[in-house]
Amino acid sequence: MIARLVFLSPVLLALAVPPEILVSRGLLQERGLHLGQVVMLSADARGANARPFRIAGVYEPTPDPSRFTAKRLEARLHLPDLLALAAEPGEAGAADSVGAINIALKDPADAEAFARELGARSPGVSVVRAAAGDDEHFVIIERFHAAISFVTMIGSTAFLLALMVIRADERREVAGLLRLLGLPRRRILAQALLEGLCIAAAGAIFGVLFATATQGVVNAFFQWRYDTTLVFVRVTPAIAARCVVLALPLGVMAGLIASWTLLRQPVLDLLRR
Amino acid sequence: MSPFEFAWRSLSRQPARAVLGLTGVAVVGALLFDMLMLSRGLIVSFRDLLESTGFDVRVTATEALPGMGPPVADAASTTEELRRLPELAAVVPARFGVASIDTRNGKTAPVAFIGSETRRRGEWKLVEGADLGDDADGGRPEVVVNRTFAREERLAPGSIVRLPSALPAREFRVSGIVEFPFETAGERMAAVTLRGFAYAFPSARRDEADLLLVASQPGAGSEAAVAAIRRTRPDLHAFSIEEVLERLRHAEFSYFRQVSFVLATIASFFALLLVTTLLTVSVNQRLGEVAALRALGFSRRRITFDLLAESALLVGGGGLVAIPLGLLLARGLDSILRRMPDLPTRLHFFVFEPRALALHAGFLVLAALVAAAYPVALAARLPIAATLRKENVS
Repeated sequence: MIARLVFLSPVLLALAVPPEILVSRGLLQERGLHLGQVVMLSADARGANARPFRIAGVYEPTPDPSRFTAKRLEARLHLPDLLALAAEPGEAGAADSVGAINIALKDPADAEAFARELGARSPGVSVVRAAAGDDEHFVIIERFHAAISFVTMIGSTAFLLALMVIRADERREVAGLLRLLGLPRRRILAQALLEGLCIAAAGAIFGVLFATATQGVVNAFFQWRYDTTLVFVRVTPAIAARCVVLALPLGVMAGLIASWTLLRQPVLDLLRR
Repeated sequence: MSPFEFAWRSLSRQPARAVLGLTGVAVVGALLFDMLMLSRGLIVSFRDLLESTGFDVRVTATEALPGMGPPVADAASTTEELRRLPELAAVVPARFGVASIDTRNGKTAPVAFIGSETRRRGEWKLVEGADLGDDADGGRPEVVVNRTFAREERLAPGSIVRLPSALPAREFRVSGIVEFPFETAGERMAAVTLRGFAYAFPSARRDEADLLLVASQPGAGSEAAVAAIRRTRPDLHAFSIEEVLERLRHAEFSYFRQVSFVLATIASFFALLLVTTLLTVSVNQRLGEVAALRALGFSRRRITFDLLAESALLVGGGGLVAIPLGLLLARGLDSILRRMPDLPTRLHFFVFEPRALALHAGFLVLAALVAAAYPVALAARLPIAATLRKENVS
């Protein structure tokens, strides 16, 4: 709707008191505007029927996850000013018509009944219930990231398992000696499990600390890149706990598998005799 | 024995380790392959969608996306003016609007309307019935509807669509069922002629167009068509498909490009770390063997090739498995992302391209080389006599 901004000398417009508008921070920066400046707005792409408005303030548009990649070049007008600006000259009733009316019901559960009744009373009106609950974009992005995390976890498990197999292989002679000295398999296995647990816990804690330390950098980059106040990464205690809780059983499992393949073998094989 | 045969024997001596290494490389390789497909998937897919319409230039009144900014005024004369340009083969004005219909269950539901001329190129694909015809005077205007609209409202060619949102309520006769290139999942869509559009939206301003679809002359090309439009009508904004895509690449689609870049970097680093670890440990465990081989006359170069071959087998094997695994994973990830609202059903996030495959191979070759660097240095600098003595003593 707001198609063209024409900058006028404040001196020329000092005598008139143009209506006030708010402009988004993005628009203010993009066009080098300033508070108190008088700008011309037009609903026509060629700037026809432009009207003067004074910038009374700047606002930060509510971050919208479905539109965060788009520049928020917006302005807010009083409804009568917008209607007057957008109305076709000579168009009957145009200055008294709106595109939509937002309604807050006392009881949101009445939405369906209200829509039916209003539809019956006003056949030309379309009643649409506003979306409630989590934004679907968030839900989808969360699912996507969860799937990526799952794949990464499989890769990490293979890595951890490979490390544990190497560790177990390196200590096969030690394990053989310990068994010759009388230590039961369970004791050696417990040691390997504990080692796997320690490696997984240390890795998970390092990962959480690394993510916590770098989340500011990631957020700063994406907020700068998209000129938004949306927060892209936030390491919450729940996420950190989930990360550690998932890593620990994987570590135990890796230790168990790696050690069991070793401990199944006869003692002399372990000692390579 | 060639370095590859030697490397194969070395790996098969410890099959568990080799399999785990291959698995790790295959999984991160699949992730890397997917991220390479994601980095350009939207652009490639969107280009296909734009090209499928048969129009290679879009003209709007401002830089805003069609329907998001002011419409083109004096649409009829503008269209005629552009049609006279020798660089252009076709110019079709289009209008967009949303109307309400009474659904079968007594509720109202929105329908996206496109007002245009009768189909000339790929504006939509006829699935059933007849295409949109020129409105004859008298009688109900014709409408073509998409499959979602037809299925949910049980419409078939000959059915009547009633729009209570226009006062008085307007009726259209369904001439056919079509598929629109940009229809989104669950979206009811319909197309009518410009006259039909004015009939459906009586309060809409006349002689405007949200978008002018332009097809360039085959010999001229889209760049020449855009230049001709800009020369003739500098007040309008003409975009070739490449310009539209360039804009999307830097704005709307950039998030997934950046995500794919970050994840591809992490996946490459992970693969590198995994193979380096496995090779380094393998070399450390075989120091005596390497020293013995050197003592037997194996040159440093030969040892280097052996280790490079081992790295290549691990990374190459994992990388090969990663391709079908990545394609499978991409299908799953694509199906998750395509559930996003307001996305055309034909749009894909992960699109296979030979370029992605070549890059995947390139990254893995690089990973294999870099991963082998440290173990190679370790083996090449090995003091032969000291190592053999140490092995003997131990």
